[in-house]
Parts: sequence; C-alpha cells; structure tokens
Amino acid sequence: MKTNKIFPIMLIMVIMATTSVFSQAKITVKGSDTMVILAQKWAELYMKSNPSASIQVTGGGSGVGITALINGTTDIANASRPMKQTEIEKLKARYNTLGVQIPCAKDGITIFLNEANKVQELSIKQLSDIYSGKIKNWKELGGNDAEIRLYGRENSSGTYVYFHDEVVKADYATNVQSLPGTAAVVNAVKKDVNGIGYGGAAYAVGVKHAKVKKDSKSTAYLPTEETIGKGEYPITRYLYMYLRNRPTGETKKYIDWILSKEGQMIVIEVGYFPYK
Amino acid sequence: MKKLLAITIFTAVSIYGYSQTQEIDSLNDVVEKHEGKLNALDERVLVNEADLGKLNKIKVSGYIQAQWETYGKDLEKSNGYSNTYYIRRARVKFTYEALDGVKFVLQPDFSTGNLALKDAYAVVNIPKLKNLTLWAGQFNRPDYEVEYSSSQREVLERSRVIRAIYPGEREIGLKLEYIGVNIPLKVQLMAMNGNFTGAQAKDIDSKKDLMGRIVYSIKLPGSGVGIDLGANGYLGGNLAKTNPYIKNSDGTADSIKVWSYLDKNWAGGEIQIFADFLGGMAIKGEYMAGVNSTPSTIASTAIRTAMLADPNKYKNFAGYYIYFIKNIGSKNQFVAKYDYYDPNTKLSGDAASKDIYYKTWTLAWQHYLNDNIRISLNYEMPKNEINASYPAQLKDNTLGVRIQAKF
Repeated sequence: MKTNKIFPIMLIMVIMATTSVFSQAKITVKGSDTMVILAQKWAELYMKSNPSASIQVTGGGSGVGITALINGTTDIANASRPMKQTEIEKLKARYNTLGVQIPCAKDGITIFLNEANKVQELSIKQLSDIYSGKIKNWKELGGNDAEIRLYGRENSSGTYVYFHDEVVKADYATNVQSLPGTAAVVNAVKKDVNGIGYGGAAYAVGVKHAKVKKDSKSTAYLPTEETIGKGEYPITRYLYMYLRNRPTGETKKYIDWILSKEGQMIVIEVGYFPYK
Repeated sequence: MKKLLAITIFTAVSIYGYSQTQEIDSLNDVVEKHEGKLNALDERVLVNEADLGKLNKIKVSGYIQAQWETYGKDLEKSNGYSNTYYIRRARVKFTYEALDGVKFVLQPDFSTGNLALKDAYAVVNIPKLKNLTLWAGQFNRPDYEVEYSSSQREVLERSRVIRAIYPGEREIGLKLEYIGVNIPLKVQLMAMNGNFTGAQAKDIDSKKDLMGRIVYSIKLPGSGVGIDLGANGYLGGNLAKTNPYIKNSDGTADSIKVWSYLDKNWAGGEIQIFADFLGGMAIKGEYMAGVNSTPSTIASTAIRTAMLADPNKYKNFAGYYIYFIKNIGSKNQFVAKYDYYDPNTKLSGDAASKDIYYKTWTLAWQHYLNDNIRISLNYEMPKNEINASYPAQLKDNTLGVRIQAKF
C-alpha cells in the first residue's frame, strides 16, 4: 500500500480516537420507573461528593430508556428487564455494538394487596390466572365474595414486560387498569379493598405484601433481602443499566461507584437488594 | 311574658333549624349534581381510553430519502444526463398489532416515478411456541443485506450480487422464523412463488422456491465483541414457458422440455463482527455462489432459428461483499465497502462477452444530525472486467448525497 493511501486511514484513526476520548460530559440517565428513586438517590449522593459531575435522571419506563439509548438521547438506560433481541439489533445497526449490560441491583416483584384483604399468599399459577382474567373473584382464593380489581403498569414499563413474560405468560386481562409508576399502583391498592397490584419492592408503603410460592406445593415467601438473595422468592429479577459502549471517563467512575459498597448501601436504603 | 319568650325562642330555633336543613339539602343537591357530572366525565374518559387503546394498536413509521447523484462519463452517456436529484425512497409503514402476537404490516413506496407496494404481510406467533412466528404475504427474502433496511444501511445501494439474485428484495410467500431466547439462534425457512423480479408477479404454477437461513450469535462480553455466523441456501427454478433451447454457463447448447424448470440454486455464508472498539466498529461479509437461470421470453410460436438465437440461459455465478464500518463519536460513521459479482464464472475474457465481472469499492460517510435526520455522502467506484465487449475501463463512478428523514 502506498503512503498516500495510508495517510487518510491514519487520519481517520486519529479522529476516531480523539472523538471517543472527548465525548464525555454531562451524564444523562433515563428509563425504568421502578429504578427512578434509586437512580435519583445515586445521582444526588454522587454529585455531592463529586461536585464537578452533572447527572440528570428521568423515568418514563424501561422501554423509553432503551429507545433513548438507541436514539442517542441518553447515556445510560435504566431497565428492570433485559434488553430484547430486537432492541439489540437496533443498537447493532446504529452503533455497531451489542450494548453493555450492567446488573446494578436485585428486586423482588412484590404483589400488593389492601391491608383489609384476607388473602395472605398466592402461587405463580394463581397470579397468572388473576391477571389473565381466569380468576375474577377473591372467593376463589379464600377471600371475600368480591370482584378482584386489577392494577398494573403501562406497556412501556419493564415491570409490565417482566411480569407478563415470567408470571402471566398470557395476554393480560382487558380490565387491568394501567397506571404510570409503581407508586400509583401502590396508591390505588391502598384505597381499594378488593385491589391487587404488582411492582418494585421499594414502593410498598401502606399496603400488604402477599407471600408468593412457585406452585401449590411449595413454600410461600415474602420478598426480603434473605429470600431474594437466596433465590427463594419466586419473582426475583435484576435491575440493569445499559450503555452503548463500554464506559469511560466520568461515566465509568459513576458506574464503578454504583457497584461499590457505598453505591450498594443506597440500594438497600431505597428498598432493593444488592446485585451480588 | 314567659309564654311569649318560650314561643319566641321556639320560633327562632325552628327557623334556624329549618334554614340549617335547607342549607344541608342545598349542599346535598350541589354534591349530587357534581357527582353526576363527575360520573359523566368518568364515562367519557373510559370511552376515550377505549378509543385511544384501539389507536395505540396502529403504528405509523417511515422514511424519505432525497438524493442527488452525479455520474462518470460512461454512465452519463447511458443515462442521458450527468446528474440528477430525486426521491430515492418515500415509504410509510403501517403496523396494526391486533392482538399480542398478531401483527399486520403494509408499506407502500412513493418514490419518484414509482408507486409500489413494498410490504404487505401478517405475522402470527405460533401459540405456545413463543419464539416461532409465521409470516404470510409479501416481505423481504431471508438474507442479511436484503433484510437490512435501506434506512439503516451504511451505503446508498445494496451489493451488485444481491441486486442480481434478489431483485426487488421481496417475495410473495410463507415464512417460518424462529428466534431463540436461551439459544442465540435464528432460523428462517421460506416458501415463495419465485417469480418476483422487482415488481409483483402473479404466481402461475404450484411449484414454490425454497429458501433457508440459519444464524448463530456468539457474544464475548468481556471484550465487547459479538459475532454472528450464518449460512443460507436457495432451491428453486424458473419455468421455461416458450423455448426448449438452453445456453449453458460454458456457452454450450442444451435443451429442455417446454413447461419444465430451469435450475436456480445457490448457497452462501455470512459473518458479522461487532466490536466495541473506540466507539463501535463492524465488519460484515457474505459470499454466495450457485446457478441462476434466465428464461427466454421469445414467443412460443417463433421459428427454431429465432428460438436458438434467444435461448433460456444457465449461469454459474459468484459474488461477495465486505463492509468495514467505524462509528466516530455518536454522530458520524465511516464506511468502506468492497463487493464483487461475476454473473458467469465459467467464462472469462472475450468469451464472457457481456457477462463481465465487477469489483466495486464504495466509500461513505454518515452524519446523524439528530434522531431523525441522516446525511450520507457516498462514492461508488466500480471496476469492470476488460474484454472485447468492454475494451476499456468504464467511467461509471457515482457520487451521491442523500438526506434521510425518518419518523
């Protein structure tokens, strides 16, 4: 190869290297509503000890976060479900990377019941039947003779997708009321004696947690640090951060801090569980 | 006096009590009135929510590509103009997700001088086999560069070999597609009419062409590398409707019964490597070789000499392409591509006549202005085989600039 052909290639390599190194500035984080309180807390405390860092956190749902990652409008996408193959394909097409998945916390999807509800525990099959509309009355589950009122999340939510794929495994019943965020689900169940909802563990204030069991013969567990850590609670999932490329600069420092003992302490404080 | 006082107090208490009752009654009326209004609003919200829910099932997306091109002298001569500005593609895709796992897609194209139906298909998830879908209608043939949308492709046009063997990219048929969740495997099997030549053509026989593709993905997360390895094959035929004479790949004469099939078979391999190296990089390649045929279009009533002069043709072909793509920051992309296509590998030099091979270098730069707008600069430099029919290198380089708006 002649030198006049090598020169443009060298020039392009230099441009590539410099643009990659200097492309870090403000960090934007978008996605999972389940993770939004946790992410805000992380950002707040990190910025306190690193005043030069600027981190902006917004929710919207895991799907929204991942779309923003693909469109280039966020640096980190928070997701309460793994990325779908179709989303990875879009990332490949636009950025020629597979994305970087960073598990940063564990969560047990909690089943919320009103405190006056007599029902104490539910199996995965019963939850599936409830949310697919096969079981319609609390009487069928040992509760009062009253119609079950279903509360859930919007379809842009990772919790909605995870609960659909891992628990319901069928179409959601048409009468599920979609609410924007786990806090709204908790609030609805708190006010509704016959309500049931699902969502991240960190939001459950003023409602009762149902014990959950794998099948009718298994032991039912509450979502606690111990049962989730041991993998006993049947609806346990990871919470993730996704990036387009392997983190560098300030983003890497921030992620390393999240995964450190200090960052994981905040996970427990907020009501979730350390990733390992 | 005492009596009068008692009567006065009683009257006052009664009046006060009456006015209090009246106030409560009127408050109750107001509450009831507002409750009625709220209930009515609630009902309206529910009706609107139900209507919006239906609308949510319809998704509209698409893209418009406005393109300016300028040509080398030989292309200018054959085109009749040296440069042009036109709408390369203007597509609107309507997707209706009737139920979870049932999707209908319709995509027309409104580009300059061309109104065509691109996609029209239904996709159904096979019940209880979540990862298996059945496609029916008109859609892309299962090949990497064919399925890779032109709105995402890093160069302006597909490779020469792909354009030759998959004209129009689409076909009318049925496809079974498996995308593994736990196993990173993709399997596609398609049965199609086999007579799509860039425009829709009605099927005229019961014989279907078959195509299959299998892709296995390897991930090396520690190094940020992903490798997709695949193979594909095509098994089909072209109907010799009018002419019993054949010209083989090596130029020898042969014959076939009218209304029997000319071979159209090939196999290929593909690889795509994605690496998280200084901001994303990919190397993508595909090779394919086999036999393609061109049925004669001469009238069945033509005389033997005319039939011999325009026979059905068999051609052993080979072709490949390789892309090098480097993301530069999050807004730019540099692309170098090399592709090769020989429409008849059995003949070369003067014997190849017009079936000359092409080796094409393409250099391109993409700039993403924002999420929706991409500007592409593309320079294509084909080099043709030299023989008696093409005694000199054709001046057929093309410089193109495209602005793409995607929504």
